[in-house]
Amino acid sequence: MTDTYPVIASEAAPVDEQPQDATISRRQVLNRFAWLSAAATGGVALVGPAVTSAAAAAAPRPPIVDRVRPEALADPTELTIAEAVTLILQGRLRPVALAAAYLDRIEEFDGVYQAYAARPSRADVLAAAAAVRIDSRNLLTGVGLAPKDNYYTKGLLTEAGSLVFEGFVPEYDATAVARMKQQGGVVLGKAQMGNLAGGRATVPGTLIPTTRNAWTPDDVRYSPSGSSSGTATAVAARLATSGIGTQTGGSITGPGQAQGLTALKPTFGRVSLHGVVPLTFVRDHPGPLARDAMDAAIMLQALAGPDPNDPRSQGLPEPPDYIRAATPQGSKRPRMRFASRIGVWPGYLTSGAADVRARRGAMARVLEDVGGRMVGELALPDDWSVLSGVLNGSTGDPTAPFVEHLRRDVRLFADRLPRFLNGMLQSADSYLKVQQGRLLLLQRFLDQVFDKCDLVLGAPSDAFDGTGMPLLTFPIGLVTETTTGLQVPTGGILGARPYGEERLLSAVSAYQAVTGFHLQRPPDPRTGVARVARAAVGPRAVTTIAPVGLEAIAQQ
Amino acid sequence: MPEPVTPPPPTDAELDTYIRTRYALLGIDISVLPASDPAAVMDQQRLLSNARGILRTEVAIANAEIDSQFHPPALYPSALSAWTRED
Repeated sequence: MTDTYPVIASEAAPVDEQPQDATISRRQVLNRFAWLSAAATGGVALVGPAVTSAAAAAAPRPPIVDRVRPEALADPTELTIAEAVTLILQGRLRPVALAAAYLDRIEEFDGVYQAYAARPSRADVLAAAAAVRIDSRNLLTGVGLAPKDNYYTKGLLTEAGSLVFEGFVPEYDATAVARMKQQGGVVLGKAQMGNLAGGRATVPGTLIPTTRNAWTPDDVRYSPSGSSSGTATAVAARLATSGIGTQTGGSITGPGQAQGLTALKPTFGRVSLHGVVPLTFVRDHPGPLARDAMDAAIMLQALAGPDPNDPRSQGLPEPPDYIRAATPQGSKRPRMRFASRIGVWPGYLTSGAADVRARRGAMARVLEDVGGRMVGELALPDDWSVLSGVLNGSTGDPTAPFVEHLRRDVRLFADRLPRFLNGMLQSADSYLKVQQGRLLLLQRFLDQVFDKCDLVLGAPSDAFDGTGMPLLTFPIGLVTETTTGLQVPTGGILGARPYGEERLLSAVSAYQAVTGFHLQRPPDPRTGVARVARAAVGPRAVTTIAPVGLEAIAQQ
Repeated sequence: MPEPVTPPPPTDAELDTYIRTRYALLGIDISVLPASDPAAVMDQQRLLSNARGILRTEVAIANAEIDSQFHPPALYPSALSAWTRED
């Protein structure tokens, strides 16, 4: 065992303590999901049926870390949220100093990384940090954050990586952004993203890649993954402590795995979508990309809860204490707070490259060591091929909110035009059957998968996105990337029942208590370092550096 | 009773006409895109090819069978019956 995880004072979980997913009726979950489909097809904005559970937690407080790592004390950009808040609350670090450290690093390196699409001025960021109220009840006191560019930010450019929103400056904050600020968070900038939440980040209106993977900053060929590219790079490259992305089809978990992060896609509706540029009504999920499970828990704690402006967030069980869930039991022999049965998705441990298979196998053994009960490889649910295939599509979803933009000029959508135009070609009977199929797929998971296990190792992202179930990715080591020959992170992925975030955080925090992969950081860029102006930076201004290997990308 | 006759599948050209008509009906002009230019970020040829794929997926969806009696397990009492105090 290695002593790599910040040890947080805690007491052992009571014997009768249960995670939230064990207290919720299957019927309630299915009924709520059916309501969502009805709301999508009918366009209604009524509050759906409530899902009830055991009593909610009292407002959790940020964890106080017993020991801050020396490397984090030496460089504040290395601090996790838990460490940063601890130092700030103890009077050992000022929010302004933390913000200045990030600004210095951004100004030195973001010309290469291109993680940010737009940033407030340095003076504005420092003023925001100076205005942070030091309050032990706040979860993100002074923490520097990188929201994806599809979250509305009051007075700050929000273009969603697309010409469709060129020059758009919202008049209000998205609920998720507002909640982070209320909890003491400081927005360092808007993170680059794939065009309208698809693919890796590019110069809007082109296929020219912008954001680099933090692990290969000198070689643009290796993708940062998308569409939450900039948020992932900002967190991995220490240009922000944490950030929020969105996921409709793997856009949080993909970049999280590609950049060595602990990235959480919560249950659908758990985090408000108000003020987020939409892709679909029923599959968009906001969630955090973080350095470790505790930071993901703190972020989710700050973000989760009902929002009067988003009916999809209402009627859910009150958010439980995610911070407690992410606190392993025992310091000498850390264990999952919630012992869980873990099933393996077919082929997950036996397919792929040899080094990836080895990492996955080792990860599975560690999960077992920290309290997971492995129940073997799962069987596919009945009718898996059709339910996870043509009946799990979202062709009809993105078109309706964008009709006026499509009429204005289809060229604004660039490479993403088919995704937004094709909804006009899906018939009502097909759309209805797709909604039925998604509901049936959820029922099959509840009846035929989660009857055998509590967590799915190697959970298929598309199916979990389509059914609104939570996913958590986490780094499990480095492997050799075939195109560049460079060492890059690979990640594990766990899925859970609806409202199963506590189990996910419990498992991964215990894994991280005995491993050190989440503490590995990429090297700084070697070449092409350029200073970015301290004034507000527009999306095109940060794409002026000729990236290494760009010609190779253009030729592909 | 005559045997049912399956009509011949539409050609690409027929589908393209349908697609263009559908877009035009809604006031969307795709003629501003280059007809065929692999170097362009999007062109009409790729757009129409993708759209034909979507239409043919419609057939796969139509062929998928879901039990017409399928419904999610109901809540007891339902919200409505609770509000109206009816069983």
